[in-house]
Amino acid sequence: MLLQKFYMRALHTTRMVYASGSGAGLEKSALSALRKKTGYTFANCKKALELHNNDVSEAEKWLHAQAQSLGWTKATKMADRATAQGLVGVLVRGNLGAMVELNCETDFVARNDVFKRFVDHVARICLQYTEAIEFDGDLWKLGYESEALRNLPTDKGRNLGDHLALLIGAVGENATIKRAICFKAKHDINLCGYAHPAPTNVGTTDDTTQVGKYGTIMAFRSDIKYPDYEFQKSICQQIVGLKPKKIGEYDKDKPVENKDDETCLIHQEYLLDADRTVGEILKEHETTVVDYHRYECGEATKGNLDEILRSREQSSN
Amino acid sequence: MSHAFAAAVSVCRSAAPMVIRSSRRTMSSSRMLRLACATGPAAVNRDCKRNGLLAGRTGNVQQYLRQYANEKKVFERTKPHCNVGTIGHVDHGKTTLTAAITKVLADKHLAESKKYNEIDNAPEEKARGITINVAHVEYQTESRHYGHTDCPGHADYIKNMITGTAQMDGAILVVAATDGAMPQTREHMLLAKQIGIDHIVVFINKVDAADQEMVDLVEMEIRELLSEMGYDGDNIPVVKGSALCALEDKNPEIGSEAILKLLKEVDSFIPTPVRELDKPFLLPVENVYSIPGRGTVVTGRLERGVVKKGMECEFVGYNKVLKSTVTGVEMFHQILEEAQAGDQLGALVRGVKRDDIKRGMVMCKPGSVKAMDQLEAQVYILSKEEGGRTKPFMSFIQLQMFSRTWDCAVQVQIPDKDMVMPGEDTKLILRLIRPMVMEQGQRFTLRDGNLTLGTGVVTKTMSALTETQRSELTEGKKAREKKEAAKK
Repeated sequence: MLLQKFYMRALHTTRMVYASGSGAGLEKSALSALRKKTGYTFANCKKALELHNNDVSEAEKWLHAQAQSLGWTKATKMADRATAQGLVGVLVRGNLGAMVELNCETDFVARNDVFKRFVDHVARICLQYTEAIEFDGDLWKLGYESEALRNLPTDKGRNLGDHLALLIGAVGENATIKRAICFKAKHDINLCGYAHPAPTNVGTTDDTTQVGKYGTIMAFRSDIKYPDYEFQKSICQQIVGLKPKKIGEYDKDKPVENKDDETCLIHQEYLLDADRTVGEILKEHETTVVDYHRYECGEATKGNLDEILRSREQSSN
Repeated sequence: MSHAFAAAVSVCRSAAPMVIRSSRRTMSSSRMLRLACATGPAAVNRDCKRNGLLAGRTGNVQQYLRQYANEKKVFERTKPHCNVGTIGHVDHGKTTLTAAITKVLADKHLAESKKYNEIDNAPEEKARGITINVAHVEYQTESRHYGHTDCPGHADYIKNMITGTAQMDGAILVVAATDGAMPQTREHMLLAKQIGIDHIVVFINKVDAADQEMVDLVEMEIRELLSEMGYDGDNIPVVKGSALCALEDKNPEIGSEAILKLLKEVDSFIPTPVRELDKPFLLPVENVYSIPGRGTVVTGRLERGVVKKGMECEFVGYNKVLKSTVTGVEMFHQILEEAQAGDQLGALVRGVKRDDIKRGMVMCKPGSVKAMDQLEAQVYILSKEEGGRTKPFMSFIQLQMFSRTWDCAVQVQIPDKDMVMPGEDTKLILRLIRPMVMEQGQRFTLRDGNLTLGTGVVTKTMSALTETQRSELTEGKKAREKKEAAKK
């Protein structure tokens, strides 16, 4: 997949080289050059050239300067359009984890590399803030809402909202950063993330943003020295696939009669082996799930995220 | 086909498999035959009478149609039909173009003009098993009749392809001259590739808001991108115009004339699909009877082509290929000169015994089809709300596959992800426990126990399974795990 993408990109650049070599008058025109170089819409490139007497470098500077405000204009114009599609991005690096949900109007955009890169960018910004957090205890987590996320400062005095406006300007569709949740673990707690649909046979997921329609981050304790990544992934898949409402406790929660309605993670049947429950598998691997969070792209957020988090924290303490 | 599918999908949810099998047949007569057959030979005679009655009733259909015609216009099949669709960015004017096409053609009395806000998702789509957000519009040019599809998202186009509501024969890619190709235009072309569209016509919209240089550059850019995505970018027709002008009756040279030019290109560039009638004949066998003194009769609905007395035929399926000759064709116990695609018929065949042929085989023109046991398919997995399962599934799941008149156990391989969630569309590799007649474009339903899991379309037939692969089909999970461990 990655190779293919790389190949395609290579193809694209070679094509451009060819084109610039062989093209006739049109190819050399300022407008064409500016569009190729910047990728801004033809209408804007045209306007830039008109304002700067066909000086390409001046026009380019102007375009970059204008991109932000143009993006904002577009973003405000489209602000009320529904964004039901999108992606969930999951990024885990060592003891840090961030999961974000970004929305757009059509799934065509969600499949595009520009959008995927932006998801990665937002996840990294979130992780960066998590890294700086100092806390007591074993596990810290914080959920962000749309407003808070847009105000997160990035580089050069800009914030994520500015970046989002740029994206809207580029894809010409409304987009929103819906929510994010950050995890930071200490001591013997480990983190694991998974996004579905995920390509198979990807080596490590550490420090790469996985994107998909569903995502989860799981915090767990394990007594096994050498971590079994496949096993961790399977538990994450379990959470994504069977949508448990809570982890459940072995002595308190009893399995329900119809196992298809089971909402406790530990009593659910294990996806890879329907004869056993997740609880049995976890015990076999000497692992306990401490906490988890599951995102489904486009799902309705129930109530205030903070409230849910607070109640979760209380119950897990 | 699509109707039969919808029926299969909706019935599967509530009824037992027996009923589904018969519901797959659209003609009720065959069902009666089946039932009669089940009750014993004495009932067959009674059934003959009933069928005679039915034949009488079909005679009334003409009359009924005439009466009905007073209330509703009858579709006149004078031109070949073709399905096209629009793809493109949300703001580039797909719907405006559709509205403009109907308006321009309405002026020539070839379509019913639809306003922008009238082109909306058909409400009846919500009633079928699978919810697809799709808009259907019909119109005709001088030479062809068109069904026009527009969907908002990738998943909707895929679902549309799978359920076959309107298989697209070609597409119109809409690009605005003001914006040029967008980052996601690449994804639009990928989609077209994925759903098997080989013929694209480009419409550069909004030329009234751009100048000549910009329009030329957009054309060049789009041709380049098309070539890059594997289309013949240099020869694809590109039409420039403004759908809005056409709609508002302004600047006819970029308005209505451009629309007519576009339609002319669509007429000539997108080939007319081969009619079912013109293809080599194929009849999925529903039932086999042995009639004393006459021989073996197979019944079923002729899926395509034409069958006449004296034609060579071949029975394929269940690891068997039998050659024979059609010695008589009957419909409703009357002799038929020639049976056409869509007819429910019985065919008398020479030299084969009743026990040689089984329901699920196909009778076809010799050599026109092959039995397959491995194939690649695009499948939509029903969500819980649509009557599907609640849990995701992984590779190696065993399912029952229903297609035409047969069903067969299959093993599923998920090629590019770990698991499939309900409500997702996905590529699957299916391995059949025994070879069955499968072709590209054939539709099927996957069931698991008593619920319908998904529905799909064959995108590629693959090489036959090797002996080892075949034995692997039946081996259990433990054996597979052992092998995996041994490999490591």
